[in-house]
Amino acid sequence: MHPILSDRRRLGLYLLGWLPIGALLAAGLSERSSWLASAAIVLPITAVFAFISLNAGYLCRVFPIDARASVWRTVVVHIVAAAMASAIWIGLGSLWVAALAAVAPALDAGATFGAQRLLIFVVGALLFWLASILHYLLIAFEASQQAERRAIELSLLTRDAELKALRAQIDPHFLFNSLHSISALTTVDPAAARRMCLLLAEFLRETLRLGSSNRISLADEFALADRFLEIERVRLGARLQVARDTDPRATACLVPPLLIQPLVENAVVHGVSQLVDGGTIRIAARRGAATLTIAIENPCDPDRPRRNRPGFGLELLRKRVVTQFGGDGAVLVEEQPDRFRVEVRIPAEDAA
Amino acid sequence: MTAMRSPIHTVIVDDEQLARGVLRELLAAHEDIEVIAECGNGFEAVKVVSEKKPDLLLLDIQMPKLDGFEVLDLIGGDVTVIFVTAYDQYAIRAFEVHAVDYLLKPFSAERLAEALDRARDRIATRQKMPAGLAAAGRARQTPLERILIRDRAEVHVIPVEKVDYIESQDDYVSVKTAGRRYLKEQTLGELETLLDKDIFVRIHRRVILNIARLVRIELAVKDNRVAILADGTKLPISRSGYARLKELLK
Repeated sequence: MHPILSDRRRLGLYLLGWLPIGALLAAGLSERSSWLASAAIVLPITAVFAFISLNAGYLCRVFPIDARASVWRTVVVHIVAAAMASAIWIGLGSLWVAALAAVAPALDAGATFGAQRLLIFVVGALLFWLASILHYLLIAFEASQQAERRAIELSLLTRDAELKALRAQIDPHFLFNSLHSISALTTVDPAAARRMCLLLAEFLRETLRLGSSNRISLADEFALADRFLEIERVRLGARLQVARDTDPRATACLVPPLLIQPLVENAVVHGVSQLVDGGTIRIAARRGAATLTIAIENPCDPDRPRRNRPGFGLELLRKRVVTQFGGDGAVLVEEQPDRFRVEVRIPAEDAA
Repeated sequence: MTAMRSPIHTVIVDDEQLARGVLRELLAAHEDIEVIAECGNGFEAVKVVSEKKPDLLLLDIQMPKLDGFEVLDLIGGDVTVIFVTAYDQYAIRAFEVHAVDYLLKPFSAERLAEALDRARDRIATRQKMPAGLAAAGRARQTPLERILIRDRAEVHVIPVEKVDYIESQDDYVSVKTAGRRYLKEQTLGELETLLDKDIFVRIHRRVILNIARLVRIELAVKDNRVAILADGTKLPISRSGYARLKELLK
């Protein structure tokens, strides 16, 4: 439904806007007949034309003015449409005048209308064009408003995802567990305790540093993951094994920071650490012609409870990939009873 | 501390070797505490507790296979428990299952000593956890995702999707899954309240059925209906059970 017709207040204002036009038309006709006669002829048919003009809105939406539109076609369409709208108007006007003549012959409406038919036709066509122009303006205004709103939404979503990613990055339980390991090591192996402190400090500093950049090399991202895995290895011992299969052309690519780190963390928290004998996390990176593919795979307990599955982190990752790369990025999750694999595909971008 | 008192037999359960180490080290300062075993996972803990009947359990929560609450659920209420974890979100649940204390990692020697004092009080007054209280904590985790069954020292973990049906047998329930039966000391009614109502339906006073296993319903004699499962098993359906079944299949 037309936005003006769907709102009673808007419709009232719109018809009020046509009142001066009707008055002008009536004034034009009143030279040849009485004021009463011209008002009786013109006001009702002006109201009818107000509704006919709303059709310009549909026309404008069907034939939008954009880069693909042909100017000539648009002009021809509007000339034809205006002529048709005005012709329909004249036809309806004639019917109304005939009806008036039958009810009140004294007004001599037929003669007045007949004499001015051409003038009314031209005025009608011009009014219809005016309506078209106004509708085009309205559409352009709406579109710019929508674009603005979308841009705001997108930037909010991006920032939100980044913030959450950063917050999720430094999982407090990871910190507490690491501190507990340090506390345990201080008496049995003070050197190892110190090493652990340094590792933890480096990991935190790197997380904050990388998190504030826009793009980092995949090599830097992997280096951060390595520090994390080294810390977790102090805690989990031989249960945590890592196998790496990365292509140097892939690690030279640029990626959004902290994209892969949450996946490595999931692989430890939901995978290997839940297995009595642990297992091997496999990290792979390949560079195709246009695509960078990174895969993280971990074994998991087939009997794991459903709640013990990564959900939030993956959702966040997917959102980040979609907001940053649109249809060019993808996050593929493959879940099997004893294996969990996530593959991230993004456009390959070389460091400058 | 009285030397007269018999030592408190203690078991440490934590999947991390370093975490077990720090406990062992700090416990050494307490003469009345005797560490009789260390376990690296929940299965071992259930086995050791049922075999050695310790007085005190220092229990981690996040562990492979079984978490601390599941361990407690399986071993019953004859042991005093101190939870030791890096996670603070389980504290309320821990006290619902009547743990004497809840230590957050990392903790100090003083904080551990405080927890041990509480444990000594509990053990001295022989305030054992009343039976069924472990279930109070368990009941919060509904619907149940897996059924835990202790067969003497062995533990079976059955994801609920793999259960075919459950039958009551006196004070036990018999859980049928992939050709095997497991007995668990629980009432059918209690189990029914814990199971996912979109998957499991009580088709008879004595039977709960996994709806995914149902192939068809046959009319036996008169009003008596029988559920035929994928493996050919026939199970009785009562009149009210049939009404519940129809409601779920709608």
